[in-house]
Amino acid sequence: MDLQFTPQHEKFRSEVRGWIDANLERRWTEELRDPANGENELVEVRRSWQAKLNEAGYLGMDWPEEWGGRGATVVEKAIFLEESLRADSPPIPNFLGIGLLGPALIHHGTEDQRRRFIPKMLSGEEIWCQGFSEPAAGSDLASLRCRAEPDGEDWRITGQKVWTTFGPWADWIFVLARTDMDDRHGGISFFLVPLDQEGCDVRPLLQISGESEFGEVFFDGALAKGEHLVGKIGEGWRIAMTVLSYERGASALTDPARNDVFLADLVEGLRENGTLHLPDVREKLARLFVQNEVIRANGYRTLATLASGSAPGPESSIEKLLWSEYAQKQSETALELLGPRAHLRLRSPLARTEMDWAREFLWDRAGTIYSGSSEIQRNIISKRVLNLPTS
Amino acid sequence: MQFNLDEDRALLKQSTRELLESESPLTDARAIMEDSSEGYDKALYANLAELGYMGLAVPEEEGGSGVGAIGLVAVLEELGRAAFPGPFLDMAMAAEVLRGVKEPEGAEWLRRLVAGEALVLIANSESLSGDEPIEPNTHFEDGRVTGSKHFVPFGAQADAMLVSTDAGLVVVPKPDAGWNADLLEALDHAQRLASIDFDASCTQLTDSGTAATLLESAHQLGALGAAALMLGLMERTLEMTLSYTMERQAFGAPIATFQVLQHRQADMFIHTESTRAAVYRAAWAADHDPDSASRLIAVAKAAAGDAGRWVAGQSIQLHGGVGYTWEYDPHIYLKRIKTLEQFYGTTRSQLEKVLQAARI
Ligand SMILES: Cc1cc2nc3c(=O)[nH]c(=O)nc-3n(C[C@H](O)[C@H](O)[C@H](O)COP(=O)(O)OP(=O)(O)OC[C@H]3O[C@@H](n4cnc5c(N)ncnc54)[C@H](O)[C@@H]3O)c2cc1C
Repeated sequence: MDLQFTPQHEKFRSEVRGWIDANLERRWTEELRDPANGENELVEVRRSWQAKLNEAGYLGMDWPEEWGGRGATVVEKAIFLEESLRADSPPIPNFLGIGLLGPALIHHGTEDQRRRFIPKMLSGEEIWCQGFSEPAAGSDLASLRCRAEPDGEDWRITGQKVWTTFGPWADWIFVLARTDMDDRHGGISFFLVPLDQEGCDVRPLLQISGESEFGEVFFDGALAKGEHLVGKIGEGWRIAMTVLSYERGASALTDPARNDVFLADLVEGLRENGTLHLPDVREKLARLFVQNEVIRANGYRTLATLASGSAPGPESSIEKLLWSEYAQKQSETALELLGPRAHLRLRSPLARTEMDWAREFLWDRAGTIYSGSSEIQRNIISKRVLNLPTS
Repeated sequence: MQFNLDEDRALLKQSTRELLESESPLTDARAIMEDSSEGYDKALYANLAELGYMGLAVPEEEGGSGVGAIGLVAVLEELGRAAFPGPFLDMAMAAEVLRGVKEPEGAEWLRRLVAGEALVLIANSESLSGDEPIEPNTHFEDGRVTGSKHFVPFGAQADAMLVSTDAGLVVVPKPDAGWNADLLEALDHAQRLASIDFDASCTQLTDSGTAATLLESAHQLGALGAAALMLGLMERTLEMTLSYTMERQAFGAPIATFQVLQHRQADMFIHTESTRAAVYRAAWAADHDPDSASRLIAVAKAAAGDAGRWVAGQSIQLHGGVGYTWEYDPHIYLKRIKTLEQFYGTTRSQLEKVLQAARI
């Protein structure tokens, strides 16, 4: 066993820290609080932060060098992400492009596709969104009905996607569409589609938090060029199912680091309220600290396993459940313990200045739904890890 | 970075499992818990001592096996799986105290403990509520100790006890007339708790300050060890439950096909695996990162207690009626886990430690 970062890792960490210190002008929390920042302005803040990160070589770090990578290990990537959160830097806007599509193109795309899309994906000039879910196909994704019909060399896409994160700001969408109406899995293909065209209509959807970070996308014969099919016809399902696994491990330490920031704020708020000494408050608070450390321990386990060249074990299948369910407990506890003031939105009179706990409380409801709901995760564990029988 | 055990410790873990499978299958272990007066298999303990198990965390220079906290945890995980009865962890805690004693008597008792010649235990607890007085009331004067200690696991069987007193730690060899012990009947009949009234001759080992330090480090080891035992107990509990739900038929199908039971068992798995991460991280810290060891051990103990109690309860639930029978095994695991959760550092005290370590 060895859970220590090497001296090279520590050196990398201090480089990252130094770079962020020198380059981050305003913490993300302050941007959020600034009344001058509407949703659009905030996207621009994120975009310019992404551009800086890209120039410094901190995006796509583990990709091949010709695609902006630097041959970094998963540990270094995890360190970078951890430091970004610790410093409260803005989240990059193109997380779906870089997180999902980039690896898909590197593994399954053509040379031309990589050359065309990856640089602008990294720089933030082109923002991507993910068009998988449909009104009648969420958890049961393979029942999707959106279809792609051949049009000469090209394709015409017709159908509807929904809950499309960043849709309202995106330039491009990667879409799963049917090229065969009968073959459930083998009839799905993977297309890259520009949103700024006739035949594409993106409508923002109002979320429970009052924001519109996601939207609906309507395709009515939208054009997807022949050269923008990723993989072969009918390989879409396989590609979609594998892209997630490329990212495994890198985020192992980000959630606990984010939670550290939240917990510090919670402690601060309890201090202000003068309730930090109360036994029931202490017990609830301590249980959050314990669970966050359990998640971090699990993250170390994932990271150490990957770093030693082994395939990630059971710890990776429980990671999503751990962080998403913890987050709900954390914000619920904060709203309970901090009192009425925690219900005030960030810019409300009388609001505490740092965290928007009310917003977090709402946002944390989403984590157990997207990227495979908690129920689907438990299905996966019971079927694939515990090998429990199907009736 | 590497999460897996190194080769030596992996081998130690594996051979421990094999040894227990042949020497202490659950039917034998249950017979010992239920029918023997000692509550443990003395011959097997002697055998384990010969193999070096009684000084696992004691460095080689001090006569132990020197496998560190990680090695000890790996072994305890296996002992937990097997629901292995007896004062194994209690002896490891006593060894931890004795290691820090400067008096030659300390070294001699440590040698005998490690060699399996003497069962040496700590007798510390004086309160019935779990909130220990800051200063022990047990009194030391002129080579004699007087006072009462409660909840000493396997206390009536001890050859010697390390007793905390108002003057520091003393060692009390078993008096010729035997201990004045009340055998307590507890939730976990395997634990053989005793209350001991002392009025006996003894030797002082340390002053009060040193006693507090040594007891703290023994309690830390105990908390880590209890968490490791709970991990092993949880692991086995889950395995038993999985195989039972795959066999048991209801409504024309194995009950494991019901989604609600699949998810319940997925949750048992999540609790077990996340406990594993926390326990081994704490063990690693105990060996390599002393600054965070105490905090991470408290995390592991609190997490294991919460997780273990829930897993053990679900195991009984998923076994249905047979889960409530003495004959079936889940209750053995429930009782062991609940005992380990309560003793060896209550969850409440671990939670407080976690906050204090963060200066809260
Ligand atoms: C904030 C947010 C952002 C999103 N961003 C995107 C995006 O960018 N791109 C995209 O394509 N999609 C996105 N989604 C959609 C998301 O992937 C789906 O919502 C998710 O897959 C669940 O599908 P559904 O909404 O159709 O729910 P359903 O599948 O209808 O599920 C409803 C409930 O039933 C449960 N359930 C379903 N099947 C089973 C089963 N077999 N066993 C037990 N329980 C079951 C679910 O767990 C859930 O609790 C986003 C969703 C949210 C909330």
